[in-house]
Amino acid sequence: MDIQPIVKLVNVDKSYGNVYALEDINLDFYPGEIVSLVGDNGAGKSTLTKIISGTEKPDENGQIIVDNQVVTNWSSAKARARGIETVYQNRALAEQQTIYDNVFLGREITNRFGFVDRKREIEETETLMRKIGYTSKVWTPLSSVDKLSGGERQGVAISRAILFESRLVILDEPTSAMALTEAAEVLDFVSNLKKAGKSVIFISHNPWDAHAVADRFVILERGKIVFDGPKGSMSADDFIALLHKFAKKDIKS
Amino acid sequence: MSKSKKGFLVPERFKPVLGAFIFFVFMIGAFIIASPEVFLNVGIYSAVFLSLPLFAIMGMSLVYVVAAGEIDLSFPSIIPLSGLAFAWTMQQSDLNLALSASFAIGVGVGCGLINGLLVTKLGLSSLITTLGTNFTFFGLTNVLNNGAVRSFEEFNDHRVKSILVGSIGPMPAQMFWMAAIALVLGMIFHRHKFGLHVRVAGDNPEAGRAMGVNIERTKILCFVLVGFCASLVGIFTIYLLSTYFSTMGEAYLLPTLAAVFVGGTALTGGKGTIGGMVIGASTIVFIQTGVVAAGLDGHWTQLGFGLVIVLSLLGHRKFSGRLSR
Repeated sequence: MDIQPIVKLVNVDKSYGNVYALEDINLDFYPGEIVSLVGDNGAGKSTLTKIISGTEKPDENGQIIVDNQVVTNWSSAKARARGIETVYQNRALAEQQTIYDNVFLGREITNRFGFVDRKREIEETETLMRKIGYTSKVWTPLSSVDKLSGGERQGVAISRAILFESRLVILDEPTSAMALTEAAEVLDFVSNLKKAGKSVIFISHNPWDAHAVADRFVILERGKIVFDGPKGSMSADDFIALLHKFAKKDIKS
Repeated sequence: MSKSKKGFLVPERFKPVLGAFIFFVFMIGAFIIASPEVFLNVGIYSAVFLSLPLFAIMGMSLVYVVAAGEIDLSFPSIIPLSGLAFAWTMQQSDLNLALSASFAIGVGVGCGLINGLLVTKLGLSSLITTLGTNFTFFGLTNVLNNGAVRSFEEFNDHRVKSILVGSIGPMPAQMFWMAAIALVLGMIFHRHKFGLHVRVAGDNPEAGRAMGVNIERTKILCFVLVGFCASLVGIFTIYLLSTYFSTMGEAYLLPTLAAVFVGGTALTGGKGTIGGMVIGASTIVFIQTGVVAAGLDGHWTQLGFGLVIVLSLLGHRKFSGRLSR
């Protein structure tokens, strides 16, 4: 039996006036797959993810198909209800609050008067932190986020996505401006996200990171998909050579 | 940081309270050494407990606003405006308490709602907006009251007066009201999801919005809470003094704000403590009462305030390393 894609984009365009940010995009995102979305600045990576997560509307001719149904009036609330969650780099966490408060923010476990069930939230946060591979013994769910490193912060944001039954997690530049060890930690979190059965769209500037986690690559150049294929046995060097090939073509034209 | 070392440390969330408490103990100690005959006498404490609850009730609501990343400077005039609503209705309705109290609370809540809507819906700075509404509410009070002093001698025989501001042994009844309100507001601030949303509003509102928290509504409710508490303070003051006069809120502005910050709530938002606020209010009221009781000129109070505010901020920085900005 065929596996159905969670999200399917058919002939999606996005234009601002006369300028096409995205042109004729056809893409499928399957369950349990990590797709690395790469491309230069302005290639259309963030526009594409904004369309999937419902914060931008595509031009009228294209279709977004979720679970085999064409969706209309796609919005971020609808996207979240269908299990599509975006983890933004900087705006995701309230730094002075505890880890568990952040994980459950907006979806607190409360009694019927609205008082937070701290015991359960702390326990579940602890389980989650272990699940995504938190190795630090110093931090507990009661630590405040401003004590954490950049990588650990991404971990908190990512564990939130696991908790809330999301099926497709969009990670926007999760390793940018990070030290090597921190980035390695985040890549670990991403692999664990896949083990937990989630699909991931991984957006990155860094070809090594993009190669390390991916099952499949999608390369965007000037709003068009120039490559869409499985990693297979492609090495990091092959992948970087591929990226260079498209970049050079771009310079010649 | 090693794990064994952690055991000796106070949990993060109690640090501001502990800091405020240690400071308070040192101050009382200094007062006792400086003037033992006054500060080892029960009398001074009864005097402090008379006015402490009103400062504390006012300040607890300010903890919410400040933690939400805003400020409210208009409460000193919401007190007399809602107080006027109470006094006037009492006079007109032949002392119908329920009606008068509802009207006064309605006026307080309405003022808070105006502040909240101006700040969130129009995106105005809360500092300037509430500075403006402070004048507006006070001006309105004076226009309506026209300088009248409304006397309520008949309150002295009322049971309500002894329930609100009477005394139980040496303890003024308003201390119990303060404790009850502190318990409720403390539980909500530290344990209810609304309290979390208030802190997130001051910490990183974008993070809250991304998670579906209604930041604007949360902030409006904080301003409404200030209006509500100001109306309570207005009603308590009228019962305490058996008199209404339109300058009854004047003495509140700076001491109450000072108490909030001495109590360990950060001006930058995102954090606050109700327990710390009560200790901060005690510190401030003790200086006010203590300086006078110790036989010093009233001008020394100002000097005392200044020292306490600066020293306590230094202390908090040492403790939590976050209040420096």
